[in-house]
Amino acid sequence: MADTLQISECQNFGFATVMSRKNADVAAIGGALQVNMPAGPTCVAVQGAVLIGTGPGNWLAFAEGKALTLADELTLRLPGVSVSDQSGGYVIFRIAGPAARRLLQRGAFIDLDPSTFNVGSAATTVMAHIGVVIWQIDDAETFHVAVFRSLAGSLRDFMQSASQSMNAPFGTTAARG
Amino acid sequence: MSRLNEGGLVDRSKPLGFTFDGRPYRGFEGDTLASALIANDVKLVGRSFKYHRPRGILTAGSEEPNALVTLRSGAWAEPNTRATTVSLYDGLEATSQNRWPSLALDVMAINQLAAPIFVAGFYYKTFMWPAKFWEKLYEPLIRRAAGLGRASMLPDPDHYDRNHAFCDLLVIGGGPAGLAAAQTAGRAGLRVIIADDDTMLGGRLLSERLEIDDMSAAAWAQGIAAELAEMPNVTVLTRTSVFGVYDGREYGAVERVQDHVARPSVGQPRQRLWKIIAKRALLAAGAIERPLVFGGNDRPGVMMASAVSTYLNRFGVIAGRRVVVFTATDSGWSTALDLIAAGVEVVAVVDSRSTRHVAADRVKAAGAEIFLEARVDDVQGRSARAVDIRTANGTIRTLAADLVAMSGGWNPSIGLGSNLGSRPVWHEPLQSFVLDRTPPGMAAIGAAAGRLSLAEALADGVSVAAAIATDAGRPSAMAVAPRCSDEATAVSPMWHVTTRQTKAFVDFQHDVTDDDIALAAREGFVSIEHLKRYTTMGMATDQGKTSQLNGHALLAAATGKTMAEAGTILSRPPYLPVAIGVFAGHHRDEHFRPVRRTASHAWAAEQGASFVDAGQWKRAQWFARPDETSWLDTVNREVTMTRNGVGICDVSTLGKIDVHGPDAGVLLDRLYINTFSTLPIGKARYGVMLREDGFVMDDGTATRFADDRFFLTTTTVNAAKVMQHIDYARQVLWPEFDVQATSVTEQWATFAVAGPQSRALLQTMLPDLDLSNEGFPFMAAAEFRWHGAAARIFRLSFSGELAFEVSVPANLGDLFIRTAFQIGAAFDLVAYGTEALGVMRVEKGHAAGNEISGQATAGDLGMGRMMSTKKDFIGRVMAQRPGLIAADRAVLVGLKPVDRAVRLRAGGHLLASDADAVAANDEGYVTSAAFSPTLGHSIALALLKRGASRHGETIRIHDPVRGGDIPVEVCHPVFLDPEGMRIRG
Repeated sequence: MADTLQISECQNFGFATVMSRKNADVAAIGGALQVNMPAGPTCVAVQGAVLIGTGPGNWLAFAEGKALTLADELTLRLPGVSVSDQSGGYVIFRIAGPAARRLLQRGAFIDLDPSTFNVGSAATTVMAHIGVVIWQIDDAETFHVAVFRSLAGSLRDFMQSASQSMNAPFGTTAARG
Repeated sequence: MSRLNEGGLVDRSKPLGFTFDGRPYRGFEGDTLASALIANDVKLVGRSFKYHRPRGILTAGSEEPNALVTLRSGAWAEPNTRATTVSLYDGLEATSQNRWPSLALDVMAINQLAAPIFVAGFYYKTFMWPAKFWEKLYEPLIRRAAGLGRASMLPDPDHYDRNHAFCDLLVIGGGPAGLAAAQTAGRAGLRVIIADDDTMLGGRLLSERLEIDDMSAAAWAQGIAAELAEMPNVTVLTRTSVFGVYDGREYGAVERVQDHVARPSVGQPRQRLWKIIAKRALLAAGAIERPLVFGGNDRPGVMMASAVSTYLNRFGVIAGRRVVVFTATDSGWSTALDLIAAGVEVVAVVDSRSTRHVAADRVKAAGAEIFLEARVDDVQGRSARAVDIRTANGTIRTLAADLVAMSGGWNPSIGLGSNLGSRPVWHEPLQSFVLDRTPPGMAAIGAAAGRLSLAEALADGVSVAAAIATDAGRPSAMAVAPRCSDEATAVSPMWHVTTRQTKAFVDFQHDVTDDDIALAAREGFVSIEHLKRYTTMGMATDQGKTSQLNGHALLAAATGKTMAEAGTILSRPPYLPVAIGVFAGHHRDEHFRPVRRTASHAWAAEQGASFVDAGQWKRAQWFARPDETSWLDTVNREVTMTRNGVGICDVSTLGKIDVHGPDAGVLLDRLYINTFSTLPIGKARYGVMLREDGFVMDDGTATRFADDRFFLTTTTVNAAKVMQHIDYARQVLWPEFDVQATSVTEQWATFAVAGPQSRALLQTMLPDLDLSNEGFPFMAAAEFRWHGAAARIFRLSFSGELAFEVSVPANLGDLFIRTAFQIGAAFDLVAYGTEALGVMRVEKGHAAGNEISGQATAGDLGMGRMMSTKKDFIGRVMAQRPGLIAADRAVLVGLKPVDRAVRLRAGGHLLASDADAVAANDEGYVTSAAFSPTLGHSIALALLKRGASRHGETIRIHDPVRGGDIPVEVCHPVFLDPEGMRIRG
């Protein structure tokens, strides 16, 4: 019995790079959102958005439904940061189902075992020679994988081939939000 | 048939049909190809590499040097497959190798008659002169005569998968030590991976009549395997060879997922590559039995004693009817007992040692003669027919026998342990090489550590794994090794039977004899590494697993060294041959590397665009129309329509970088040769960056959208390099600056809209903007909203025409290009590709990648005056080196053919009209050339010595490769509209 795998593309999401300015108070940045900014490869959900740690003083912000507004909102609300809109630059795959973790492990050479990678974990890594940002969004084995838009086709090809090897049929639907 | 009616782990209710060299045979589920061949009394399975001697099956494992066959046929053919490791399946098709016309009659066996000249180093000695014959004659001849199987030369039809794994403990080998370790660690809750070559766990327990915990060892192994399979924290990988150890506790393994079926099911991989990171690893790979070096030891019918036992105990197959056991070990006696128990006639046991083995009486009672302090000198017959035994008193006894089971001792399988460069050391009591310093995190246990008995292996597995669990903070309950059979493991190596009359082989696969080693020593190849390369011993596909130690012992003897002094070699990955396809995995053909597609890719493909690779990017090269017969027609049309109307080109591949922060302007001043801190908001400026060494690194534009917000573009090829350069500058050189930078290359789909009608088109598309010359002059930039999303427009021109660049979020890029063409129909809008882009930039004399070659200065490219003298910037000092400002540097010029009908090509070198075509007279070269449809003739850009002062001079392009010299006129590099009237129009 094959494990199922659902792969879809997030639509109409806002995505932005957030970089703290020199000597900026990271606590104050988080304070504006009433959250502790991730200090490592982790992510935190806040007010419909997810903040993902990608480096010291570097985050990616993700918010469903906010393609047109996220970058401006962050610029207005967060003190002491530089924001660059990336909403158009990425495709974000939503990968779910019992086979999701195994699929990602085939591509990423980092330990994705639930004991080390779970809800709140994030990783900036490589799958099939393609740079990706992965974060787990819920306990039901749902992951988001962000990839440069130009490379999304190649990543999709890899996932298709890998899921076939795993005998996990690959259903694709356009996810809402 | 030589199959017993019962016994072993084969399933006699599941017969399987297979063919070998076209003849049909039958075997059972659970057989290997080797065991099935033996069951069918097939003794001759291959021909040797050099002498084409008939060879049979020597071993029952992956160390097999002889029984190499080609498995399957056509594109699925897999040469040099070891019959001993191939799981039999219904319909299996195997073919013998390196013989002609047939396996039984191989005419190349005539090589044996010439054996005296085929000694070690014979290639080097024989094929010396004339040297030019080597490539055309000698090498092809040698390659045809020698060698093994042939590759199919067809594309590999199979899929290969890849996986990654992380664990607390990797157990390499599923024999008694490995099973005990995996069970102990698994029960303690560690994340464990256990990998074994074989189809099932058990190792020697499947092959020997031993008992553990009062049950048969095979049953015990199956019980542990079942327990491991149930543990969620344990991954069992059978049919999996760990082939290499790498830095960072990384292990490579290959899993043969569907090698045991005729054709992998659709979409399923044949093999899978595993990259495993293991905090700790246990090398429990066991030991490999060593052959004895006596006359005719390579004949079919001479087999390792352990293999004889394996075929008997595991597969229920007897490899001969009348057996002589020749042993230097106690384990050889176990084989004799196995044979007797199965009712096979053991003619004699020949033990090179003097001590009478405890089993001697039982063996004798079964009718076998016992010879102590004796040896087998020679085997008679093409396949073994009789053996000459030299008894303790020196007399020869010849006994009829069709099988010689030999046991020279046990070599721990330590190959993986020296992958990282630590040389194994000689262990006198064990009479073998063992690991000295193991790779970080790895330890050898059981037979791989030289502890050969079953009790030692079990005890090792339990105690070492328990210690690892304790280290990991998971102390296990008192772990005790299971009870097991006693066994004697004494050995006194006998390295060489010097009294032999016929050829004695050391390396079976490469046909290296004892004489070859003696010869190499006489000729001065006395280092183990030289011996190996000179004789090629241990360099065949089996990597000397059976031969290495014997060869080293013979060298030690020949040079009067001890084994410790002679030493041994290092082993490199892969431990066993691995198909190259499994390393490539998914990444072959069109998936060889990731492909980057621009936002307008799908649209361009619909228009019939041809694409060209620019790094990983696919860019539209041109958009041919059905009536066009050559690409040049297409490009000429695209250029002409753009220069006379309006054209659009996707330039999204240019690198794009946001540079933000209060010190962004200051940082850009340090990065570019010209000044940016004074750039007004809403303006773009062209800039040039130098490397530290003063040469031009890249060019592009920077635009200011706010006091603390700049947007840079780079060339396509240097996008990543410039990003890295900026990060280096802001993080390492000037960490005091408050500046942030990030790549936004992917965020923006950018389209160049060029031509006299570009304003009219865009004004129609974007009616809310004021694109008039007054409202939006040359080098202006603005942010706006398009379909609600942030968008940008720039008045920039690469083509030399009135032109704009429009950026929209990449997810809207497809919509933008389609909208542009809906509206553009009224303007006769044309899509142009990179080729037309290139033609227009050559017409305008813009330097691009061909000119910014890493050897050109800003001055060479005519941009010397851009270099600010009022500020510091990267490369400023080094750019002033005498050589970089010398008067005779090659600088950018234009070239026109004197005969306008002649076509110019890039690459030709420049010579004065009357100069000889010698390197000393070289004055530069043509960097870019194009046919200019605007001017109606070929034009070129070139770097020419003192070029700035030579406009109007006639020189020649020397192009010996493509033929002929072309007289050309030197001119200003800007061929079209040098005053820039069009751009500002």
